[in-house]
Amino acid sequence: MLENAEIKQTTRNYFVAILICILTTLAATPLRQILDLANIVMLFLLVVFLVSLKLGRGPAIMSAVLAVALFDFFFVPPRFSFAVNNVQYFVTFAVMLAVGIATAHLTATLSKHGAAALNREQQTRRLYELARDLAGAISFEQVSNVLGYFMACSGHIAKLHLLDETGELPSLKFEVALTAVAHTAIKQGILVATTQLTESGSLTQVFPLKSPHEVRGVMVVNVDSDAKENVENDNESLFEAVANLIAISIERLHYVELTQQTKLDAIAERLRSSVLSSISHDLRTPLTGLVGMADALAITTVPQNKAIHNSAIAIRDQALAMSHLVSNLLEMAKLQSGKVALHKDWQLFEDVIGSAIKLLKPALTQHQIMVKLAPNLPLVEFDDVLLERVLCNLLENAAKYSPAGEPIEVRGFINQNLVCISVLDHGSGFPVGETEALFQMFTRAEFESSTPGVGLGLAICRAIIEAHDGTITAVNQEQGGACVTLCLPLGEPPTVNPEVEDSP
Amino acid sequence: MSSLGNVILIEDDQQIRQFVKAALESAHWKVFEAENGKRGLIEARSRKPDLLVLDLGLPDMDGLEIVKEFRKWSTIPILILSARIEEQQKILALDAGADDYLTKPFGVGELLARVRAVTRRRLQSAEVSPKICFADIEVDFTGHSVTRSGTPIHLTSIEYRLLSALLSNMGKIMSHRRLMQEVWGPNHTESAHYLRIYMSRLRQKLEIDSAQPTHFLTETGIGYRFEL
Repeated sequence: MLENAEIKQTTRNYFVAILICILTTLAATPLRQILDLANIVMLFLLVVFLVSLKLGRGPAIMSAVLAVALFDFFFVPPRFSFAVNNVQYFVTFAVMLAVGIATAHLTATLSKHGAAALNREQQTRRLYELARDLAGAISFEQVSNVLGYFMACSGHIAKLHLLDETGELPSLKFEVALTAVAHTAIKQGILVATTQLTESGSLTQVFPLKSPHEVRGVMVVNVDSDAKENVENDNESLFEAVANLIAISIERLHYVELTQQTKLDAIAERLRSSVLSSISHDLRTPLTGLVGMADALAITTVPQNKAIHNSAIAIRDQALAMSHLVSNLLEMAKLQSGKVALHKDWQLFEDVIGSAIKLLKPALTQHQIMVKLAPNLPLVEFDDVLLERVLCNLLENAAKYSPAGEPIEVRGFINQNLVCISVLDHGSGFPVGETEALFQMFTRAEFESSTPGVGLGLAICRAIIEAHDGTITAVNQEQGGACVTLCLPLGEPPTVNPEVEDSP
Repeated sequence: MSSLGNVILIEDDQQIRQFVKAALESAHWKVFEAENGKRGLIEARSRKPDLLVLDLGLPDMDGLEIVKEFRKWSTIPILILSARIEEQQKILALDAGADDYLTKPFGVGELLARVRAVTRRRLQSAEVSPKICFADIEVDFTGHSVTRSGTPIHLTSIEYRLLSALLSNMGKIMSHRRLMQEVWGPNHTESAHYLRIYMSRLRQKLEIDSAQPTHFLTETGIGYRFEL
């Protein structure tokens, strides 16, 4: 339809051009007496110029030829014949034709350039508007809408498809052929155009969305075959520019989202730790009161009443055990919540073994503790508070599950590229084949046993040691008794410069 | 026996306050209680205290703020009461000027021992004992010598400085930072692992079993403490 109209328009232009030439001839005929022939030539040239300006190249060239013919026929003597008396009129004809055609050509080129410039200006303005709208977009849906509106203006349909974390395009799940094309575009980082995806055979262009850091997805454009853009190539570079703008917007949105997520994580983390510390405070405060008051009671009743004294001591010890349990539960909650902030430092096993034994002294009265550290153990990088908890749990287990009077042994040694601590007892050992299960939460060696505890100790130990990139294993010794070994990576300890001894 | 002085006890839990007060009174201190930080600071200004016992987790203000506020105008000993998981808080409180801390829950014996330790220097500030003996070790500050049952033990100068820093703050906790400053000077560049190495050497020379020390004690995550 469109083409028909265009042909009609062109045909009309030719007729108008012919008409104008004839009218000019008619108008100039009466003036023949007054005007010199050279001026009549000027008149015709003016007409050719005007025709080329208004009606285009074809009619202009035709009018130039026609003008020469009409001039020759009606004005150059002998009139009403194409014959020419004076040879110099051929020069006039040649110049007239040349000037006419040149004018037609130049004018047509100019107006075409003008139209192209106008078109480009329009494109630039549309791109600018697109960029402005994209800058205001705060979600992927908005970006999508802005693009849809932009493309609809020129009759195309464009859709965005983003890559997910696994490198798939979830929004194209059901379009296998398009997915393949999209992956090609992403992999090669260039536009892929194909006409084979639609039934009508229209052109589909797939542009990779290349942001400065990575390809985030594709823009699929179904080019409207009816829409007549000036130059096909122009379209492609326009779409490429659009794809770049979209890619940058999506990149920006990605980082906005990332920032928000980080903020949310931080808030969640703060909330978690504040909940934990307030629970800790609320649980520990009554226990502190209980321990303190029982202790005070025990001290004041020593001489008078042995029974009350013993009860008070028992209350105190039970409250202390309870407090220990609460500590373990809270510690596990903290470790379970995922992000444990390790306060790692280069230090010696000796410190933390010593302090763990000191801390557990009341529970270890029935056992002799033997510490055997390999000579010259290096500095090891660990969180001393957490490792102390591990050792406390291991020592407590050893004390709980081995008969009174049996010694407990703590060994520190190097095994290849690991630094290890073993805690060995002479108790009943672990149930055969179930040592792995013991590291699970709420698993105990003896169910329903009279030995107090809920089965958190080893689970906490494992969580802490694994946070240190270490391993913890439990075995039964050949001569009986349990042996739990934790190993930490040796790493590269910092150097210690020897002391420069000044003479005393 | 006359009173040892005034104690301001800032603690929000009534039960804890009650037994701490009873324990301190049994040790001849005059105790003034406060259940929140504001009240505590008012008491502290009006009572001319000789000791401040402070819970770090108060309902109205951060215990750390009270330490800082208090240290602006007073040098009397501050004993912190706190829960185990607040290691960082304890270090901050010690760095802000607190003298020692007690981990909840604690017994009466522990409480009184800490109170004695933090008030000791104040009570005996005039006389710095020239000789200190523990186990079979004798340290003579005037002669710069250390002997075990009469046999001299050689200490390097850093070891000796570390020993005297710990002994002159007997019973009190010394944070890593504070010890580093006392031994290597305020502009020290060494990292904390130096302290751990020298502490280990000191234990090997002076303790019977360096892995189960009875005098040079580790306060995990915070520092060291010397106890007789």
